[in-house]
Amino acid sequence: MAGQAGVGVGQKLSTALGLQPGLAVFERAAARETQALENLACWAGRFTPTVSLAPPAGLLLEIGGCRRLFGGVAAIVEEVLAGCAAQDYSVAWAVAPTPLGAYWLAQAARGEIYEPLAVMQAALADLPCDVPGWPAEVQDRLVSFGLTRLGDLRALPAAGLRRRIGNGPLDDILRAWGEIPDPQKPFFFPEIFAQDIELPARVEHAEALAFAGQRLFAALAGWLHGRQLLARVCTLQLTHDDGSRSALTLRLAEPAADEGRFLRLLREHLARLKLAAPVEALCLQADEVIAKPGASAHLFQQAVAGEGALACLERLRARLGEGAVCTLGRRADHRPEQATLACEVGVGADSSVNSGMKADLDLASFSPSTATGAATRPLWLLPEPQALAERADGPHWHGPLTLLTRAERLESGWWDAGEAGTPGDLRRDYFVARNPHGQWTWIFRDAQGWFLHGLFA
Amino acid sequence: MNAVPAPVDLAAVLARGDIWRGDALASLPEASIPSGHAALDAELPGGGWPRGNLTEILVDHSGLGEMALLLPALAQLSAAGGWLALVAPPWLPHAPAWAAAGVALERLVVVRAGRQAAWSVEQLLASGGFAGVLAWPEAGLDARALRRLQVAAEGRSVFACLWRSTATAGSPSPAPLRVLLNPASAAGALSVQILKRRGRPAARPLFLSIPRPGRMTGVVAGAALSPVATRSAALAAVA
Repeated sequence: MAGQAGVGVGQKLSTALGLQPGLAVFERAAARETQALENLACWAGRFTPTVSLAPPAGLLLEIGGCRRLFGGVAAIVEEVLAGCAAQDYSVAWAVAPTPLGAYWLAQAARGEIYEPLAVMQAALADLPCDVPGWPAEVQDRLVSFGLTRLGDLRALPAAGLRRRIGNGPLDDILRAWGEIPDPQKPFFFPEIFAQDIELPARVEHAEALAFAGQRLFAALAGWLHGRQLLARVCTLQLTHDDGSRSALTLRLAEPAADEGRFLRLLREHLARLKLAAPVEALCLQADEVIAKPGASAHLFQQAVAGEGALACLERLRARLGEGAVCTLGRRADHRPEQATLACEVGVGADSSVNSGMKADLDLASFSPSTATGAATRPLWLLPEPQALAERADGPHWHGPLTLLTRAERLESGWWDAGEAGTPGDLRRDYFVARNPHGQWTWIFRDAQGWFLHGLFA
Repeated sequence: MNAVPAPVDLAAVLARGDIWRGDALASLPEASIPSGHAALDAELPGGGWPRGNLTEILVDHSGLGEMALLLPALAQLSAAGGWLALVAPPWLPHAPAWAAAGVALERLVVVRAGRQAAWSVEQLLASGGFAGVLAWPEAGLDARALRRLQVAAEGRSVFACLWRSTATAGSPSPAPLRVLLNPASAAGALSVQILKRRGRPAARPLFLSIPRPGRMTGVVAGAALSPVATRSAALAAVA
């Protein structure tokens, strides 16, 4: 839009503001550009483990080894471009057999794949001589020689040229042409993932943060992929415009490295979030990561449609609240209220199995009557025992209840008497009873009278 | 040695769930899960509870044995490593009883959905990761919400069961199978009436014998023989 109004590079600020009065002007911050480049390098970890930075704005991806994985160079390029577009970066790119060749061609905004070496060399020969990074006096001298294309430069005798313009540019040309090796300094994926971005404008609605968060989560996914890790917990720190900070913790039901899954979970959290103040900056940290276990894929792809149980449950938990989704466990306690344990889904699935086994053992060794009594436990318990009316013929619940079993005494519990949320010391006689509607109930009698406690559904 | 192999009908082979054409979808969802009651299986299309389709069970009173009717199927799904979900159950599940019924507790998820039961069920069905989803939706669930659930379940190998009141028997529903439960006059039996199924309508209700507590007299006798139980019975008599 600014370009259409005539605003361009090299103008004075006053000229630009005259042409486009509503222009938003930002100072160039080199530190933030470096940060953005590193974020992007992290993100690129999803395509290849060998990423190199070419400051100020270049990124070199060594994709020779991964073309089979993605199904060809064109497919990789397509994915990289789509990813950059999703993160709102504009890209100039080229694919070539040598790093420097690719860099020069990308800077010329060629946007093509130069596959065999000869094709790239022909394209390089056609590039103009004003290579960025060469000293100004070298460029002046080349102009005074009447050299405009890199191809002209190569055609001259090298020894004489080296005497006149120095070794640097000619070595560069040899590297770009692939005639001398050009090792690159690889980008090291940081040990700890913590990245922040400052938002271009203050964000007042939580949902709008999802878009800004996308870049961070894309970088996280690439970093996890590059280091072969899976994240279990990550925290998004929100910095508000009044300087205060708040944190949003994303807890995954199973460790994952999938950007889409992070974003779905983030959206659920953001939908519930009320922002206390507008947000200025975001910072994403990976709090708990584990090494990615090696897994072999199926020979015949058994495509499971949908996201799977654990991913779905973590979204439900994000929307319904932490305690709303749980699995069950058993506790070695004879009191019905205490026998059921709510376990967190997925987290330490192994430990819950172990504790379940332990509970079984405890139950078995605890008392034989409790173990055999498992057959007469109801599937449903009432949250609170419900007091029953008592008539001459016994307790009533939607009609007179017929007792079908003899009493089963459940007694004691002195160890947590008086604690909140526990039944404490109890002394109850349980019966299975049926009413005229055919409902099978589990009722008990204690010193206070008859109570309904469960249903044999 | 020179026995001629019996001719095999190609169509019959292809109808098997574990054999598929190379150009077809690889994972054919198994069509149904045996209910554990032979008389009921004979009446249900596909020979069991359907997968990938909604099943509505209409029942007014809890405690008739409606869960016990499903337990053989649920235990089978759970034993095969499947996840089960209870969405907005009306009471608290009592873990020892579910474990005793053969359900793996670490794969039994309880979702306290509040007012978002329909949304939760839709997400669970669409995730494709669940073998069984039992839901007690709020009373005002309309046909559009039901249609969404049916669409979410289609093509998944999930046994999706909605518990609804018998008052909804007259209102139309997209669920391909609707079953009405009533107590039978005989104790320990359940009257199962199939209101709607794919195929000819069912004429009369089935009477199924459902395992009920307290009928295993051995357990009661065992408890009664122990001195504690005897004393407690005596105490109860006194009280």
